[in-house]
Amino acid sequence: MAGANGNVLTKIVHLPGSETIDVYRANGGYVALPEALKKSSDDLIDMVKRSGLRGRGGAGFPAGTKWGFVPKGTNKPVYLCVNADESEPGAFKDRLICAKDPHQLIEGTLISCFAIGSSRAYIYIRGEFAAEARILNAAIEEARRAGFIGKNILGSGWDCEVSVYRGAGAYICGEETGLIESIEGKRGQPRLKPPFPAVVGLFGCPTVVNNVETIACVPHIVTRGWEWFAGIGTERNTGPKLFGLSGHVNKPGVYEAPMGTNLRTLIEEFGGGVPGGRPVKAVIPGGASCPVLRGDEIDIPMDFDSLTRAGSLFGTGTPVIMDDTVCMVRAAWITARFFAHESCGQCTPCREGAGWLQRLLWRIETGEGEEKDIDTLLSVTDQIEGNTICALGDAAAWPARGFAKKFRDEFLQHIREKRCPFGGGSHS
Amino acid sequence: MATVTLQIDGRTVTVPKGTNLVDAGKQAGVFVPHFCYHPGLPVVGVCRICLLEIEGRPKLVAGCATPAEEGMKIITRSAKVKEARRAVMEFLLIHHPLDCPMCDKGGECTLQDYTVAMGPAASRFRFEKTTWPEEDVGGKLVLNKNRCILCLRCVNLCKDVAGVEEIAVLSRGEETYIGTIGDRKIENELAGNIADICPVGALTSKDFRFKSRPWELKNEPSICTLCAKGCNTVVGYHPRRREVLRITARENMDVNQWWICDRGRGQFRAIHAPDRLQGPSRRTEGKVQPVAWNAAIAAIAEALRGVLARGGPGAVGVIASAELTNEELYLTKTIFRDGLGIQNVDAPERSQSPVVYPKFTIEGDRNPNTRGARAIGVAPGTGGRTVRDMIQAASEGQVQALVFLRGGPLDTFGDPATVSRALDRAALVIVLDTHASPVAEKAHWVLAGATHVEKDGTYTNSAGRVQRVHRIFSISPESREDWRVIQDLGVALGVLPERAAEAEQVFARLAASTPAFSGMTYASVGDQGAPLTAASADVAVG
Ligand SMILES: Cc1cc2nc3c(=O)[nH]c(=O)nc-3n(C[C@H](O)[C@H](O)[C@H](O)COP(=O)(O)O)c2cc1C
Ligand code: SF4
Ligand code: SF4
Ligand code: FES
Repeated sequence: MAGANGNVLTKIVHLPGSETIDVYRANGGYVALPEALKKSSDDLIDMVKRSGLRGRGGAGFPAGTKWGFVPKGTNKPVYLCVNADESEPGAFKDRLICAKDPHQLIEGTLISCFAIGSSRAYIYIRGEFAAEARILNAAIEEARRAGFIGKNILGSGWDCEVSVYRGAGAYICGEETGLIESIEGKRGQPRLKPPFPAVVGLFGCPTVVNNVETIACVPHIVTRGWEWFAGIGTERNTGPKLFGLSGHVNKPGVYEAPMGTNLRTLIEEFGGGVPGGRPVKAVIPGGASCPVLRGDEIDIPMDFDSLTRAGSLFGTGTPVIMDDTVCMVRAAWITARFFAHESCGQCTPCREGAGWLQRLLWRIETGEGEEKDIDTLLSVTDQIEGNTICALGDAAAWPARGFAKKFRDEFLQHIREKRCPFGGGSHS
Repeated sequence: MATVTLQIDGRTVTVPKGTNLVDAGKQAGVFVPHFCYHPGLPVVGVCRICLLEIEGRPKLVAGCATPAEEGMKIITRSAKVKEARRAVMEFLLIHHPLDCPMCDKGGECTLQDYTVAMGPAASRFRFEKTTWPEEDVGGKLVLNKNRCILCLRCVNLCKDVAGVEEIAVLSRGEETYIGTIGDRKIENELAGNIADICPVGALTSKDFRFKSRPWELKNEPSICTLCAKGCNTVVGYHPRRREVLRITARENMDVNQWWICDRGRGQFRAIHAPDRLQGPSRRTEGKVQPVAWNAAIAAIAEALRGVLARGGPGAVGVIASAELTNEELYLTKTIFRDGLGIQNVDAPERSQSPVVYPKFTIEGDRNPNTRGARAIGVAPGTGGRTVRDMIQAASEGQVQALVFLRGGPLDTFGDPATVSRALDRAALVIVLDTHASPVAEKAHWVLAGATHVEKDGTYTNSAGRVQRVHRIFSISPESREDWRVIQDLGVALGVLPERAAEAEQVFARLAASTPAFSGMTYASVGDQGAPLTAASADVAVG
């Protein structure tokens, strides 16, 4: 049962009261859970594997494969952490699910727990999402009253608890092991891997961490079958996807479309094009950590593999569109400033390198740069990439390098003219 | 034990399963640089200087955080690894003040050493550096955050070894810093170890501050004698100034691992305390006069012989001390018990509550050689009196001569009033010690002995491990190694046929005559110590 326009994940979000259990159930909600409880854990994992569902949190790791890493027959509790930290500039898709269709997330959470042999789920939500946390908590109470959460769920003999854990405003707590440390009440900083969370995670127990959208796909795979999911999208990039458009588009917002939808289609058809008909100068395709694409590179399927091939990343699938009034040095600096500020500070290359990148970009933006600053910048990105504990180091390096390489001329213009040609150069 | 075999820069090495690549490198003779990794602390993998290449893997890995696996081929000499190390060095130095000439760590700083070995020659960082004021963080440490490389060793030492969160990593990004929480200060008694393991001059010892350049010191192995644990130490001795300037920890996996407590670290101060005894002296009618060694020994021997002649062996009490070395205790037993037949031989206990940290215990027994005294048989003989009885008997006039082989506060030996009466009443009180004390104040004869850094010898710790100390220097020409003093007395009393020239010979005799020490030599004790030969047989010999 898809929505009017074939939407699945966002089928009910526009309905009044979509966050209540009544509206959710009236639209086919909580049908998947009883069905799933009749299946075995192995069958459910297999189903998700065959569906081709890849993690929507950024890395695109196959969800079923991750579930399969939980050791069979472990005598420790198994945990599910649903990652609702969504803090990357440009990303705001998970927020929509939390606010407008929390039961879809809860049903997905319960099925996923059942599949991995867990009886305890934490939904880790970004601290700033206070309203969404309230909505989720209310939905959890509704689901508990309806017998979907708690002891002996639907007479299956299986118990499951779900609770919301609010972050305190650090981007790094979206990284799965930083998230785990944070739930444990510690300073949010990523752990060394291996061991991976599936083996040693929350409180030292096997733990699966999945993105909100990943989990939201699960009930639909159960009710519609993996074949349905696998039939949407492109090869190895299956299923429906939430795309969050922002920046210079007429209609920014979250849109549901198949994986692999063309970026230009997204901008022009879903986003209604660029205001004033201005040209697209650049697009950050999937959140601030993804290397920028030039306006002439946007005829590209929005999926993990296509963007990797193009030297960028799909990330969370949330393009930021920039028209020709945007200064690329300034955009690079703003991105660098974010990552420098959000580095947890434990790894030498990320801590020192991200701050250095920010300084170099600011100097170029203010017209004080020299050509060798670009070389230093590129070399610093090389020195960070791949050499740190978590991917935030990479996330700081990639966009800086991307901007400097794709828009080298604009960087040089700043240096030559000793000023920002867009009139920038002051903090804001 | 399960092992794995791997190759590091072409060298094949077999290591226990679970060994990380820094340690595996060490065993293969390949140095893998490391700042944050310390074998005694949890692996944090943050500094990234240990990055190395594993054949077949695209990304470099942190050697400290990667266990060796069967068949691994590790490469540390590739251009990629060199570049990664150079990059980490460059990053670590961008905000560093480069103030080596005025830094206490200069000369023994890992950052300085690695910069020379693998750092960039010049920095490309053309911005103002972040600076921080210096801070007193407690724990006898000074924090200079400008030099800190955020290796987290200090944080984890407190957390993991001492079990307290007194210093933490605060803020984030490039503003990350190490600090105490609020106005709280470091208070745990293991904090001094931080100055040993901080790889830079960020947390340094207040006691050693600006005292000397590390390379001016002669570093001699020793042990701490402040409790029965017997932690292994390095004594930093300044030869020109003839002064011990610091005591630091020395690794011994069987005793103290990598740590010592702050009491032990502070022991250097006692060595040079103003109340050190300077030579033999005699007190007559309230007046203290220095006496030459030979004259003092002869006069004491004669006085003792007099008491023995008048009152028999029961009239003499020998209050030895488990602060003495095995050699000294052996001589004491040989001379007084075996030679003169004195049965009143004993040593006082000195105990307090132990201080127990998760990974380190400061023992309750404050004597460094209780186990040795027991094994050698420094205990009352048949019908002999204990320390308390000797004091009681002296206060009542039955014991007329008291020989203290270490002094101390009165209550070391019993109820202070009784001890005081005993000292007043005894016809002859002799004290051999290193420092002035209430007991020494009342003695007729005071002999100046040596601290553990001024003599050769061995101690037996609570676990029955025999460990060496060395004569590093002598604080004054008038103080003597205690074993020589006791030996001289033995010769003067006619019960020792000859003098040993060195403590080693005394130890050889001890080993030949005492089952617990049989077969042991200074060579077998080495600088890591050796367990008593018959650990179970070291019960007091009656
Ligand atoms: C710095 C950093 C921040 C991250 N933030 C988020 C986040 O906010 N939400 C999220 O789902 N994943 C985030 N991730 C990815 C998670 O580590 C993890 O891969 C993901 O939650 C797994 O879920 P998935 O497999 O369903 O995508 C972040 C990763 C890094 C390195
Ligand atoms: S890469 Fe950056 S954010 Fe990630 S663990 Fe290291 S310092 Fe922290
Ligand atoms: S003070 Fe020293 S030990 Fe502590 S983090 Fe800094 S460099 Fe490391
Ligand atoms: S020694 Fe391995 S990361 Fe610091």
